[in-house]
Amino acid sequence: MKHTRIFLALTMMLCLLGTTGNLLAEDVIKVGACQPITGRFAFAGKHLNAGLMDSLNYTNEQGGVGGKKFKYIYEDTGYDLKRAIASFKKIMAQEKPAMMYGESTGQGKALAPEINNRYKVLYGSTSFSEELSVREKNPYIFVSGPTYAQQFGVLLKYIAKNPKQKGVAPKVAFFYSDTEFGRDPIPFARKLAKELGIEVVAEEVTKVGAVDVTSQLLDLKRKKPDYCIFQGYVVSPIPEVISGAKDFGLDITFMGTFWAMSKMLLDKLGPDGEGYMGVSPYAYWYMDDVPMIKTVKAFNQKHHPEVTYRPNSYLQGWFTGMVFVKLAQICHEKGLPITGENLKNAIPQVQKWDTGGLAGLVSFGNTNATAMGKVYRAKAGKFVPVSDWIYLD
Amino acid sequence: MRIGDFKANYVADEAVFKTPTVRFWMGILFAALLIFPFVAGNYWLYMANLVGVAIVAAVGLNILTGFAGQISLGHAAFVGIGAYTAAILTTRLEVPFFLCLPLSGLSAAVFGLIVGGPSMRMKGLYLCIATLAAQVIFEFIFVHWESMTGGIRGINLPAPSVLGISLDNEFKFYFVTLAVVVICVTATRNIFRSRVGRAFIAIRDRDISAELMGINLFHYKMYAFGISSFMAGVAGCLWVNFLRTVTPEHFPLIESIRYLAMIIVGGLGSVLGAIFGAIFMTLVPEILKNTLGLLVDAFPQAMGYLFPLQQIVFGLLIVVFLVFEPHGLAEMWRRLKDYFRLWPFEY
Repeated sequence: MKHTRIFLALTMMLCLLGTTGNLLAEDVIKVGACQPITGRFAFAGKHLNAGLMDSLNYTNEQGGVGGKKFKYIYEDTGYDLKRAIASFKKIMAQEKPAMMYGESTGQGKALAPEINNRYKVLYGSTSFSEELSVREKNPYIFVSGPTYAQQFGVLLKYIAKNPKQKGVAPKVAFFYSDTEFGRDPIPFARKLAKELGIEVVAEEVTKVGAVDVTSQLLDLKRKKPDYCIFQGYVVSPIPEVISGAKDFGLDITFMGTFWAMSKMLLDKLGPDGEGYMGVSPYAYWYMDDVPMIKTVKAFNQKHHPEVTYRPNSYLQGWFTGMVFVKLAQICHEKGLPITGENLKNAIPQVQKWDTGGLAGLVSFGNTNATAMGKVYRAKAGKFVPVSDWIYLD
Repeated sequence: MRIGDFKANYVADEAVFKTPTVRFWMGILFAALLIFPFVAGNYWLYMANLVGVAIVAAVGLNILTGFAGQISLGHAAFVGIGAYTAAILTTRLEVPFFLCLPLSGLSAAVFGLIVGGPSMRMKGLYLCIATLAAQVIFEFIFVHWESMTGGIRGINLPAPSVLGISLDNEFKFYFVTLAVVVICVTATRNIFRSRVGRAFIAIRDRDISAELMGINLFHYKMYAFGISSFMAGVAGCLWVNFLRTVTPEHFPLIESIRYLAMIIVGGLGSVLGAIFGAIFMTLVPEILKNTLGLLVDAFPQAMGYLFPLQQIVFGLLIVVFLVFEPHGLAEMWRRLKDYFRLWPFEY
């Protein structure tokens, strides 16, 4: 009899513990992140991390989603694939979050089979890779912006509309690095250029950070493109190419995609940067008329008063946080628990979502990427929009 | 305390596990390695698999560089060749995993022999540059032979299966890695009980005297390149089947240097050294990160300084180890063992 009582008491205690455990577990929405805070990608990684963290904290200040707060768990990966996967597995094992953030295209590709079949966790990342955005293949993975191919699409659409000489088919050159990052959008860009009646007159391929670009410049001089689009570089060799082109007296408008649209690059370019163009899926820190930028600035004023500027990678992190929150909200509104599975199903339901001007109206259409962007031109060290949000069908 | 370690014949002198004490501890180690996956979580199992792959590759490089004295800066490329061979054989010809392992090794060995060719005429730094060229050439081929290697996007492959069991998680793969590591380490240990191994050491210590002793230099250098790249290939096959994806970015020059660092930190010319080096280079950054991660949680403001600190600490650790023990971790381990051999009666 005595034993039975003790046994009963123990069972009850266990039950109680079990329920409190559950309550605690469901009180927060966990977001895990493998961030390249050190290593080659640290220049962006630390800002991506800060942006994502601040974005989730901002939502927490606003009351979270359905009363639940976000808990952000992150690790440094050093931009090393092996360590990034290790971090992913560690966070998944210890915290079991429903949302994860990854450091690179490589990590997404390496983990894709496991994300789809084993972990079933919503996965965002630093990557704008096309491969990761294909919903049929990777339903759990989303790209927090347009893929590189879509960014090229925005630029080519802009070029088709704004030829240098009216009535003459514009000529473009692609200038890319010999890496996955560089080559990712090129096949799509070739195809789209053809459809839009744009002539691709040259394709220059270099190593990353290569400084001797003389042969490429000579080729550009021979082929005389109106526009030259960079892909796969962050800074070098873009300044070398632009100043070299100036020396050769070439009349080429240079353009870049997201990573080559930073203040860091403009600062490096100095006066040569005047007139440099490109596509970005987000607004910039100094666009005070954008409501969401105002919010971001107010948040920073409150929590990081020392901050005077936040680069576009910070805003990418912030935007990714907003997507996480949005998907959680969709689940909450439908009364569904916030699990990887439900979050995944919520991705295609994001249609014409107003992000307060940080991006255009966001729709995850045929792919898990936003397929839109704005074209900017550099003026006095700042990027000024020259188009409205351009959407690809 | 161990006493009476007396050898009465050459067989006993050349035995791998010389005393009952050693055999006892090796038994304990194996038991621990077999129990480990049942108690460890996914994360540690993943790390264990990584360490296993690194051990196979590092032991291979140690044969070439540590024992035969031929410096190679192209080891990662051979791992890459093994990885690509395995990926291509699996995806195109559906060759079973167990056949893939030796085939990847063989294909890497063939290229190893080609790259090793110049070693007949070159030594030291010059050979180093020749192998560096190999690294660059193979990296180029991985990127540009798109029809075969899938270019920069690489190749994705399905989970390997052995005897109908799909090795789709770290737990199952661990046993394969463990088996391959045991086979490779045992084989390497045995090479150095044979004529071939002794010839390697003779070449390393003084090639002219080795030749005078009747060792065919070219012949044995080729052996060294072949065996070393065979192991690299096997490591590559393990790597690609574990990660189930391969891209050219997995095998950069820095990876070759990392393998060199492994054997230097661990101890050149020592099988155990390669093992220690592989463990050190793989696990220490993780341990540092986890420790500093705790600090970051406590002082979130210091994040910007703490994370970069781990690389500085890691670099310092390597330097400190080498300053205090140029012969590497294996030598430290030997001294530690010597200390405990007579413990607690030191005199």
